[in-house]
Amino acid sequence: MTDHKVRQRHGIQVMEPPDSVQNAPILDEKKTIGHTKKYTKKRIVSNSALAILTLLSFITRFWKIDYPHQVVFDEVHFGKFASYYLKRTYYFDVHPPLAKLMLAGIGWFLGYDGHFEFDNIGDDYITNGVPYIGLRSLPAALGALLVPLTYMIMIESGYPVITAILAAGLVLFDNALICQTRLILLDSMLVFFMLCTFYCYIRFYKYRLREFSNEWWFWMIASGVTLGLTLSVKLVGLFTVLTIGIAVIVDLWNLLDIKRGLTMDHFKKHFYARAIGLIIVPIFVYLFWFYLHFAILNTSGPGDSFMSPAFQETLQGNVMSLESLEIRFNDTITLKHKSTSVFLHSHPQRYPLRYNDGRISSQGQQVTGYKFEDANNYWLIKPAKIFMDPSRPEDDFVKHGDYILLEHINTETHLLTHDVASPLMPTNQEFTTMPKDDDSRYNETVFQVLIDDGDSDTKWKTKSSYIRLIHFDTKVALWTHDKLLPEWAFKQQEINGNKNNVEKSNIWIADQIVGKNVTKPLTPEPPKRHLPFFAKFFELQRLMLSHNSGLTKPHPYSSTPVNWPFLVRGISFWTNNNDREQIYLLGNPFTWWISVGAMAVLVGVLLADLISRRRAIHPISEPVRNRLLNSGLFFFMAWFIHYAPFYLMGRSLFLHHYLPALICSYMVAAVVFNFMFVDSVNYPISVTGPRKAPRIVAKAVVKDITVITCTILLAISACVFYYFSPLTYGTPGIEPEGIRSRMWLDSWDLHFQPKRHDA
Amino acid sequence: MDTLKRRHFTTTINQQQFSKSGYEQVPLDPIDFDENGKLYKPLRLPENKILAFWQQYNDILIPAFFTVLSFWTRFYLISYSSFVVWDEAHFGKFGSHYLKREFYFDVHPPLGKMLVGLAGLLAGYNGSFEFGSGEAYPADVNYAFMRIFFATFGAWMVPLAYFTAIELDFSQHAVILATLMVLLDTAYLCISRFILLDSMLLFFTFTTLFFLTKFHNQRNDPFSIDWWLWLILTGMSIGCVTSVKWVGLFVTALVGLYTIEDLWDKFGDLSMPKTVYLKHWIARIVCLIILPIQIYMLCFAIHFAILNKSGPGDAQMSSLFQAGLRGNNFYGNPIDLAYGSKFTLKNMGYGGGLLHSHVQTYPSGSKQQQVTCYHHRDSNNEWFIKKMREENEENEEENNSTDVEFVKHNDIVRLVHSSTCRNLHSHHVNAPVTKSQYEVSCYGNEQLGDQNDYWIIEVVDDLLENTPRIRVMTTRLRFRHKTLGCYLRAANAVLPQWGFKQVEVTCDKNNNPSDSHTYWNLEHHWNDKLPAGGSAHYRTLFLHDFWHLNVAMYTSNNALIPDPDKEDILASNPWQWPLLQVGIRICGWDDKAVKYYLLGNPIIWWSGTASLVTFVFLFVWHLIRRQRQFHDFSQAQWTHFLYVGKICLIGWLLHFMPFFIMGRVTYLHHYFPALYFSILMCAFVLDQLTSSCNQITKHIVFGISYLAVILVFWYFKDIAFGFDYPSSELKGRQWLSSWNLVD
Repeated sequence: MTDHKVRQRHGIQVMEPPDSVQNAPILDEKKTIGHTKKYTKKRIVSNSALAILTLLSFITRFWKIDYPHQVVFDEVHFGKFASYYLKRTYYFDVHPPLAKLMLAGIGWFLGYDGHFEFDNIGDDYITNGVPYIGLRSLPAALGALLVPLTYMIMIESGYPVITAILAAGLVLFDNALICQTRLILLDSMLVFFMLCTFYCYIRFYKYRLREFSNEWWFWMIASGVTLGLTLSVKLVGLFTVLTIGIAVIVDLWNLLDIKRGLTMDHFKKHFYARAIGLIIVPIFVYLFWFYLHFAILNTSGPGDSFMSPAFQETLQGNVMSLESLEIRFNDTITLKHKSTSVFLHSHPQRYPLRYNDGRISSQGQQVTGYKFEDANNYWLIKPAKIFMDPSRPEDDFVKHGDYILLEHINTETHLLTHDVASPLMPTNQEFTTMPKDDDSRYNETVFQVLIDDGDSDTKWKTKSSYIRLIHFDTKVALWTHDKLLPEWAFKQQEINGNKNNVEKSNIWIADQIVGKNVTKPLTPEPPKRHLPFFAKFFELQRLMLSHNSGLTKPHPYSSTPVNWPFLVRGISFWTNNNDREQIYLLGNPFTWWISVGAMAVLVGVLLADLISRRRAIHPISEPVRNRLLNSGLFFFMAWFIHYAPFYLMGRSLFLHHYLPALICSYMVAAVVFNFMFVDSVNYPISVTGPRKAPRIVAKAVVKDITVITCTILLAISACVFYYFSPLTYGTPGIEPEGIRSRMWLDSWDLHFQPKRHDA
Repeated sequence: MDTLKRRHFTTTINQQQFSKSGYEQVPLDPIDFDENGKLYKPLRLPENKILAFWQQYNDILIPAFFTVLSFWTRFYLISYSSFVVWDEAHFGKFGSHYLKREFYFDVHPPLGKMLVGLAGLLAGYNGSFEFGSGEAYPADVNYAFMRIFFATFGAWMVPLAYFTAIELDFSQHAVILATLMVLLDTAYLCISRFILLDSMLLFFTFTTLFFLTKFHNQRNDPFSIDWWLWLILTGMSIGCVTSVKWVGLFVTALVGLYTIEDLWDKFGDLSMPKTVYLKHWIARIVCLIILPIQIYMLCFAIHFAILNKSGPGDAQMSSLFQAGLRGNNFYGNPIDLAYGSKFTLKNMGYGGGLLHSHVQTYPSGSKQQQVTCYHHRDSNNEWFIKKMREENEENEEENNSTDVEFVKHNDIVRLVHSSTCRNLHSHHVNAPVTKSQYEVSCYGNEQLGDQNDYWIIEVVDDLLENTPRIRVMTTRLRFRHKTLGCYLRAANAVLPQWGFKQVEVTCDKNNNPSDSHTYWNLEHHWNDKLPAGGSAHYRTLFLHDFWHLNVAMYTSNNALIPDPDKEDILASNPWQWPLLQVGIRICGWDDKAVKYYLLGNPIIWWSGTASLVTFVFLFVWHLIRRQRQFHDFSQAQWTHFLYVGKICLIGWLLHFMPFFIMGRVTYLHHYFPALYFSILMCAFVLDQLTSSCNQITKHIVFGISYLAVILVFWYFKDIAFGFDYPSSELKGRQWLSSWNLVD
């Protein structure tokens, strides 16, 4: 009966799902007992290899982890963010919170209070009392675990021990991975969780013949959780999501095939199971860290100004909730430009009749942006009577949409703009003022107050309302930018009218009401406002995305993706001029280049196979081909997805963005090695179905040449690693001659190069 | 070949199924089936003579009717605006250059502009008008004729669309819908009515697709006369479309992908003899690669042949090419370079310009005076050659005498910029764009300076004869920096706005002796002490000039990037196009002026985009059903469904996606070729969706579609035909707030 059913699976007939798996464990146990006896020796070899690799990995990652005792490269950012969690002050970063929360957790555990600001590269940790070794141990430990993880992924994928050793060895001896993971940076968490995801998914997939069993569910949920964790470290985790997503779609597509014999209902069960495990679960994991993020960061901090006023009011001790006052007509205020922090200012001097470029001005009174407090920044808000509802009292609150006049107190003039080009930008309108008793150009002095996200009942408040001032007559917005006017305006900032009146840079804030002070309460008040979690969450996601794509500021060590696989250039992390020491992020050139070569070989082999199959020639045996297509192509796809999207990104990119892809390329290299030097493969490797005896169709044959090649490759890797290790660990210092001999490519811009002599 | 033919034949018989609509009914022996599997009844002509005539000739009458309408819409009121509208300013001017035979430079290949010249010639225009933007045409310029010339190309788009739809096996309803959409799209209409390249680009895009579908339908009869004819015509059409604008490369890519897939299919056909397969390859290489390249080059050959006088575009070309143009002033140049000479220095790399400097400084790096490569004549291109300061002082008196000392190989010299008196200088500062090389600047003056002002002249060779001296134009030079050992180089990297988009000049640390971007030659040369040179016989190779010009076009095209400091109201982002979120005012917006607004027919654009999405859903839906063994289509129908889908969807993607990647500034009219594919997709998808409906439902559905297209066109027609009333009267037509039809 059992036999009969199993055979049917491959037929066209629809088979009922194996709904009962009760007797499975019994079979399984028997099988395992048999296996243990048979494979004890193999197990010992495999486990001891794993142990040795892990040990070596921890040694290489933790060697001299206390050196340098200074802030290195991006520790500036991530160390700082961890400190903010410990101080519970709000900050803003483009990356999700998990990795920084983990660092903060370690810091909290070690009793660090977050007092250090990590301001500059080179600041000393010891004198500032930062438990930096503890902080660095976390990424280093996770970085060290990458080696055993790689090993286990390869073993689970059905490769012999020697192939797994090669893959893990390549990871072990990679200078870039070591360098990047033993500092307070996010990448080791990212890569660690990424590999965990792959490991769990592969375990899950191997249970495909025991659908809906406990193990099946466990590994799927585990994949979902680790996927969520990857995403919570950096948004690059989306590439991992895409990789797993494609694997799942291919899997589902095969299940959908009528030849597999699943009914539509059964298929839907598969579909919904994966939707829960691999979509819903990761989303909840992702949300959870943000929940924690908001819960911890409840105090006002450096990240306030990135957020909306409503958000800021939820933070304790925020200026907005403390010092915000409602503005009434006939109040005198100062107006501050949000992005450049200058006050709207005017003084009796006039615009020159003719500018240097020959254009002509109105010769009106100058209106400028001024950085400092000054009585010339005072403006009186008057209602524009003709637009005003007469029933409103004289000193009513100013609300969204109200029309106002702004009187400059010191010169008794009204702010005005008109269709005259501004001093610096011919496209924008000039701002000037008009004596207040002159009504001839009344319309040109009327402005409308528009409060961001306001409706007609929103009151204009100091500090907390973001407003745009739109000119009634010409619809331009009051605007300024960081260009300074010439001497005739005392090098103050230009103010002009922006025709694009919805731009974000049009935002102004009423800084204070002259003569009205807020008495500061002694104890920080509890936040005035509560925002639902999702409102905060989505606001932060939007900001993260927009700031991430806005990171375009050129950096001397940024590079383009095309250079990464070939290791054209590294990044200088840290230097010490006294001892000629430096940390320079550079991969192990040998392992980087063989992994690129291996990928080229894989593509070549698959193309050749495709072409010959088209001519009905089948050069590769079915199990080997299957493995190459499933496992090899999966790793290759993982490499491609973690690499290619960077070409489309506009932001500045760095070599360490390649590290997730790099690990995938090492696994591809091992797959290619296996294809070239190991005969056949272990097949099948999936856990057998509940009612079927294990069968072995093919077994990998490891030959002497396999072992020799692997040893040679790893030996060279180790030598090259050792040769470049001073750049990785930052010590010892290297003489200029040593630098020159290590500059295998001219484009590696190491420090302390010998001075170039005249040719 | 026989086997191949039979293969298809047998499948058809076995399936015994015909498409529900549109599939051409081929009479088969011995009995024919209609769509329900019943006996196929041959058509009987009705009694009524008019109806009979209609039935017999409707495959001619319908396209003829649309063609007439097409010509009428394109020509109607064509001379209404007697002003230079929009880019007529550019293309009219280029046409004038052909008539005056003056060499000019532009980023587009020459075919379209040569036709502008031809149109001008036929119109009796003498090339004297400047085509200033917005200017009124003078009485002696027959602009109406020139516009009609281009509108003719635009008018032929309609019958081409009709027959393409037929070749794609659309139903009669869908064929008419596609034709109607091409006919009544206000954007196609508007852009066809002026002296612009777009109508030609669209025309050749349409012909390419038409010939390709024709060729596809000959696939079962390879190497027949018809097969060759359509293959060759496809190739010629590719050549023409790329010779108008490089955007034509997208439709070329479509043909390329089609061909690759076709050859891949044939590769898997084990019954095909290898020689036949090889023949397939050769036929395609000859017709689709070699032939188009020949046409493209021919256009340039004619271009060079016509433009034989010196003109505004000279400086883009090599010095020797310029010397071959009539009317340049190179003949007065003294031949050999001597100390104290003033000269201009031309980079010999493809697309190289003249060494240039101006008072503006680098915003970063050394903040010294900029040095660039510039492609236009300017007094800032002029340099003096001097000796090292140390030697100069010793020989102060000698310099004043009439003795001339010629410059030799390996001399150490100083190059002094003539208008600012600063020295060409390089130092340990990274260049602004090419960071791996050193910056080159202008620094100091006659007295002030350092060792970094010195360059060693290396002579590479002389194109004409061996001489120890350095000859103007023919000697190839390199400049090595004395202290850094790097080479002066300009390799078409464009500086940002602060450098006026001119080409960056760097000092290359790597000595690469074969890099032509480090080669320079003297172009102009002035020295009062030397006699004027004679008219040496300069000659250049066509291939060299051709390649040089193309590189220059490519470089300039890349320099057309949006300027962040300047808001270009006409430009738009690609993502705004498929939903028609923008329109363009293509002329002045005075209340009384004749105004045109470049905006598509909204219903056509929106339904086109919707149909692309619908197709993807349809495709996935059918794919899933097939995976579950529900076969809604016969194999032939499925192949055809995929074929049309691939042509339309991939064609659309190829014409649309590249604009996202391109750095250059993009305009609405860049979407027009892609629109054609979405129109075809729209007709196809509607055909698919109604395929199971009965005839009456089809009549109703398509009838409503026709009506919608016609009514919306009628509502919007004035923006394409031109209107001279205030735009505020069109307030109701401003359907989207992002259109700027009304202020």
